[in-house]
Amino acid sequence: MNSETMLMMLIALPFAGACLAALFPPNARNAETWAAALVTLGAVVLSASLFPAVATGTPVRLNIEWLPTLGLSFSLRMDGFAWLFSMLVTCIGFLVVIYSRYYMSPDDAIPRFYAFFLAFMGAMLGIILSGNLILLVVFWELTSIISFMLIGYWYQKADARDGARMSLTITGVGGLGLLAGVLLIGHIVGSYDLDAVLDSGDLIRSHPLYVPAICLVLLGAFTKSAQFPFHFWLPNAMAAPTPVSAFLHSATMVKAGVFLMARLWPVLGGTYEWFWLTGFAGAASLLLGAYFAIFQRDIKGLLAYSTISHLGLITLLLSLGSPLGAVAAIFHMMNHATFKASLFMAAGIIDHESGTRDMQKLGGLFKLMPYTATLAMVASAAMAGVPLLNGFLSKEMFFAEAIETHADSILDTAAPYVAVIASAFAVTYSIRFIHAVFFGERPADLPREPHEPPFLMRLPIQLLVLACLVIGIIPAITVGSFLHIAVVSVLGADTPAYSLAVWHGLTVPLGMSVIALIGGALLYVLLRHYLAHCEEGPPYFRRLKGQRIFERVLVFVSWRFARLVEATLGTRRMQQQLRLLVAVSLVAAAIPFYNSNFGLGLFELGQIDIPFALLWVIGIACAVGAAHQAKFHRLVALILLGGAGVVTCITFVWLSAPDLAVTQLLVEIVTAVLILLGLRWLPKRWEDTELGRAPISTKLRRGRDLLVAAVAGLGMTLLSYAVMTRPSPDTISGFFLRKAYEEGGGRNVVNVILVDFRGFDTFGEITVLGIVALTVFALFRRFRPAPDTIESPEQQRIQAATDEERSDRITGQTVSDYLLVPSVIMQWLFPVIIVFAAYLFLRGHDLPGGGFAAGVAMSAAFILQYLAAGTVWVEDRLRILPVNWIGLGLLIAGCVGIGSWVFGYPFLTSYSQYIDLPVIGEIPAATAILFDLGVFSLVVGATVLMLIVFAHQSIRRLRAAKISTTTIEEVA
Amino acid sequence: MTTALSTSLSLLGPELILAVGAVALLMIGVFSAEQRANRLVTGLSVAVLVAALLWMWFYGRDGYAFGGAIIQDAFGRFMKSLALIGSAVTLFMSVGFAKSERFDKFEFPVLIVLCTLGMMLMITANDMLGLYLGLELQSLAIYVLAAFNRDSLRSTEAGLKYFVLGALSSGMLLYGISLVYGYTGHTGFQEIALALNGSERQLGLVFGLVFVLAGLAFKISAVPFHMWTPDVYEGAPTPITAFMAAAPKMAAMALTVRVTMEAFAPIAPDWQQIIVFISIASMLLGSFAAIGQRNIKRLMAYSSIGHMGFALVGLAANSETGVRGVVLYMAIYLAMTLGTFAVILAMRRKEGNVENIDDLAGLSTTHPLMALVLTIMMFSLAGIPPLAGFWAKWYVFLAAINSGLYALSVIGVLASVVGAFYYLRLIKIMWFDEPVGSFVPVAGELRVVLAVSAAFTLLYVLIGGPLGNMAEAAAMSFF
Repeated sequence: MNSETMLMMLIALPFAGACLAALFPPNARNAETWAAALVTLGAVVLSASLFPAVATGTPVRLNIEWLPTLGLSFSLRMDGFAWLFSMLVTCIGFLVVIYSRYYMSPDDAIPRFYAFFLAFMGAMLGIILSGNLILLVVFWELTSIISFMLIGYWYQKADARDGARMSLTITGVGGLGLLAGVLLIGHIVGSYDLDAVLDSGDLIRSHPLYVPAICLVLLGAFTKSAQFPFHFWLPNAMAAPTPVSAFLHSATMVKAGVFLMARLWPVLGGTYEWFWLTGFAGAASLLLGAYFAIFQRDIKGLLAYSTISHLGLITLLLSLGSPLGAVAAIFHMMNHATFKASLFMAAGIIDHESGTRDMQKLGGLFKLMPYTATLAMVASAAMAGVPLLNGFLSKEMFFAEAIETHADSILDTAAPYVAVIASAFAVTYSIRFIHAVFFGERPADLPREPHEPPFLMRLPIQLLVLACLVIGIIPAITVGSFLHIAVVSVLGADTPAYSLAVWHGLTVPLGMSVIALIGGALLYVLLRHYLAHCEEGPPYFRRLKGQRIFERVLVFVSWRFARLVEATLGTRRMQQQLRLLVAVSLVAAAIPFYNSNFGLGLFELGQIDIPFALLWVIGIACAVGAAHQAKFHRLVALILLGGAGVVTCITFVWLSAPDLAVTQLLVEIVTAVLILLGLRWLPKRWEDTELGRAPISTKLRRGRDLLVAAVAGLGMTLLSYAVMTRPSPDTISGFFLRKAYEEGGGRNVVNVILVDFRGFDTFGEITVLGIVALTVFALFRRFRPAPDTIESPEQQRIQAATDEERSDRITGQTVSDYLLVPSVIMQWLFPVIIVFAAYLFLRGHDLPGGGFAAGVAMSAAFILQYLAAGTVWVEDRLRILPVNWIGLGLLIAGCVGIGSWVFGYPFLTSYSQYIDLPVIGEIPAATAILFDLGVFSLVVGATVLMLIVFAHQSIRRLRAAKISTTTIEEVA
Repeated sequence: MTTALSTSLSLLGPELILAVGAVALLMIGVFSAEQRANRLVTGLSVAVLVAALLWMWFYGRDGYAFGGAIIQDAFGRFMKSLALIGSAVTLFMSVGFAKSERFDKFEFPVLIVLCTLGMMLMITANDMLGLYLGLELQSLAIYVLAAFNRDSLRSTEAGLKYFVLGALSSGMLLYGISLVYGYTGHTGFQEIALALNGSERQLGLVFGLVFVLAGLAFKISAVPFHMWTPDVYEGAPTPITAFMAAAPKMAAMALTVRVTMEAFAPIAPDWQQIIVFISIASMLLGSFAAIGQRNIKRLMAYSSIGHMGFALVGLAANSETGVRGVVLYMAIYLAMTLGTFAVILAMRRKEGNVENIDDLAGLSTTHPLMALVLTIMMFSLAGIPPLAGFWAKWYVFLAAINSGLYALSVIGVLASVVGAFYYLRLIKIMWFDEPVGSFVPVAGELRVVLAVSAAFTLLYVLIGGPLGNMAEAAAMSFF
């Protein structure tokens, strides 16, 4: 088997094991453990057997094309450093698996535990072995997710849920920061390949994006390694089952952060910014973690803070920028993993056997479990940095580095003192742990009767403690070579000379160690009584809990701020939504205005045509009035709107566009009437319409709406003005003006465009118009007016009341004589308007008019009849069937179009000719006029259909009284 | 018929299939027995959509039709595939809902097909007029669909609201188009770009750009034109919400990309500013406002606002990588949305469908598989590797960083942190809270959608390569 395959298998094995583990039945505790142990053991063997390949000095690599378009490949890379870490992860993983067999209770969901456990191991190996930064981020986030699942393993417990969520939030955020940082590095280097990145240290350090990049990368590393100020998630994560803490929170996950820092140290480290960022976070974590650890009552809490402190030590070492510091950091990562994992497992045994982890309740366990106690004592001594144990060696190296000057600053000056004080604290909490748990009075009220655990549960601790001792006594022989290849793979040619030995002679670091040991022991003696009864947490700092701040922030962001955003920006009311839309458009349009320094370039006063200006003043007044009245009196608003429309029509005439004016006028009339008919059925206003009684808030709201309307109108005016006064490029209008007569055979260019040049469009448009009419009809056929609009209008009621009061009148007489004279005139006008429509139609080709205009004029004739005589009278006499007119119109227009195919021309090609008719004279006879006829017919049909439908609503309630016998269906 | 016409028509194969299919289906619906009509027409509609998809994949050619008003290219095919898949899947998912909620009217599938036709026209449009026609066809169908449940006050309100606001935005779009036309003298995208290239930047044209983008932003529900989204998503019947969240977004985004990258390419700095603003606002608002939501459809509405913001990050980059990012983002977003809405449709108790987030409590114990799928979807929507959602974000942020938009990327990452928070809350509710009663068994068609979308999201790392190549080919259409 070559080393690439082995590398691939090393990654794949834990994930495959995880899938397998998930399939076991819930009660198969032993089989499950066997399988998991085999998998982890396999991983140990695989990593170990990769040593010869790694020891040659060149990393083992595996490259699989993955997303080649992005330059991403699935690339694994194992050098000495990665090998050391993967050994650490797999070995401790194996030991923890064995330990878990005895720790987990038969009631727990074992498959879930081992599945996540193995998957986590795979993800962790992924981080270590990634040869590509993106791949590293992927595995990084994967460890966050799986640790979320593992911390929340006992999801019945609230603290497990909170701890899981907090750790995921913090580390997940850090992971995203890391992703952004990696993107920046990739942008600088041009590749995400680890080798390429490691080769371009100078490029990265001199790039302007260097500072953002290290900030983001360090955000990821600090959150993962629980460094100040992101440290508070780790103590909360102690709600996890102890094997999880032993694996994740001592040896692996929290090490990922410092692993990454060490990995990228050659390219990112060594600068002043790096020194300050990591130095400050490291020193703060080192000191505060150690200090807080003294005052914990929970054993695991103590260990968690101690972990924070030790990781701070590693961070501080990496901040110094000296190769020797990096060596010490790598060495301490290993040492810390060994003693901390064994301590966590010991804590688990104590918890398991006695039922509590509270150090104030425990005591005197030495007599009951002497082996465990001895092991824990050795491991604690390693944690405290007692000579002849591995913790001492790396701590000596740390002291030696701390007294050197690296970057002259306060932080650098303070480093030796910080180091000694933190070490003294470490001694204090180590002694406290041992003394409080194993010595002193044996309390009577323990939940369980403690005794030695099964041999296999203790075995992992024994092995790890043995490692502490062996490394501590004969470091050079045991781990020297392994450490060396790891150091060389990180530092390369810069690898300094260092010595792994217990005795270096009487040096300053040794003196510092002695001071720390004595000082720490003295501090414990002083604090002993306080610690036996104190509350959880250190004095004074107790109140300032990172967790509380985190939760406050979370609550603020997630509830208060989110609600604030929603309350201010979100609304379900459509008026406000519309207002926002209009406001945004206003702003969006105003910005270019402002940016382009647009000058209005107003006319000189003398140039203004006074009557025309007055006309516009009226128009503007009408428009503003309509906007104002829209809130109070819809009818007035509509009439004012009509006024503005009329001004527009006159403007068209004024500026020599009579055809537009005619069309506009007719459309204005018809739409005004249709809206009037619709207004009849709108519900009445709720509020009091009298101005004097409206509350001030209502007035303000109305005022604001008027302002919005006015400003929007003004904006549109400005916009139109700006557009019209800019020079416009050559548009298509010139083409139409030139070709209208010679190719379309007509002088009315608009009409020629409609029926000839863009005949196809017009055909589509009239089809739509027909569909709209039918839809309106279909919708209103089943319409029932709202209850509050069903009663007669006020005027009719007054008139009826007058009739009833007077004996000489029959009820309803006044109403029936309503508008008698005008109605007679309008009836007489009916044929006149028809002739007028025909005239408009025929002259349309050359002069203002045309099928559309004629159709609208014809509909106006019907509208007048409705206005004058009322619905019942008109419906009795109406003989036209609008649906047929619509159909006929479409048919004619379509046939004319298809007709040109017969003569071999494209659809809707027109042919023009003038015919001399008797009496009428010469009329244009382009085939387009037939098409126009279709348009005319359809417009009449559609308008009348809608008119009938609207108007018929007014007799709906009458039908109930059986006054009308004509139903709408019969008419249609 | 002239040869030009037949060439044009032959290029429009998929669109013609949909157009003819919709008309034929309407007739089939009208003339078949009432109780069978919906099932029959729904089945046939899915068949029509799939037929259009297959036609496009096997016979699709590049080229211009109708004098350059229509363009067929790799980009269009990619986005149209997404739109067609989105429509077909939502129709497929609606079958069970239609039966149980008395929703089975055959007009529903027909409207979906018509709406999809509108989307296809939007994506193929190479001309402002074609753009507008397609947009309106699509929007009108959705106005009706949103108000489809006429007896429900919320549904009719949703339809009306969407119509009023949509009409306003269409008006703005049209106004913008006419301004652009007024200043360049053209409506074709290439011609507009040519005209812009030669001349200096004019004020009226900037107005035109602003209004066109405002209209388009409304359709992709980007801030500040997003107001309708939560209300309409909540009010509309769930299958229609699923549809609105999936397919039309593809079309509107494709249209936005095409208009900006093609027609307005010479004035890129102008529209980049606008897109950056819209993108930031959408990401932030989508993330923050979603947190307080209790209704899962409203939550998805805000989520979609946020995701459109993320997708626009890619567009803001104005590069080939950026377009590829947008295209892939939309593809991944489609899969995630469909999967999530399949779960929402499956949230059904004996009494009827429920929509509150709290109804999901303890889903992991009552419906472990459904909980697993929703968890995958939520992690993916939150952008957590190695799920598809992570890659989507990765593509667009990569493009933004390569184009030097560092501030945009940083804000985007921050917004996704906030976004992750509410997705995780959902996961917490499913896995850690006490169950509050269980749902009825999940319908077969929903299971299929759940499985496929979950597989896509999980295994994206494996299929990302080929899909990326396709997206790259699509993006190359503009370069």
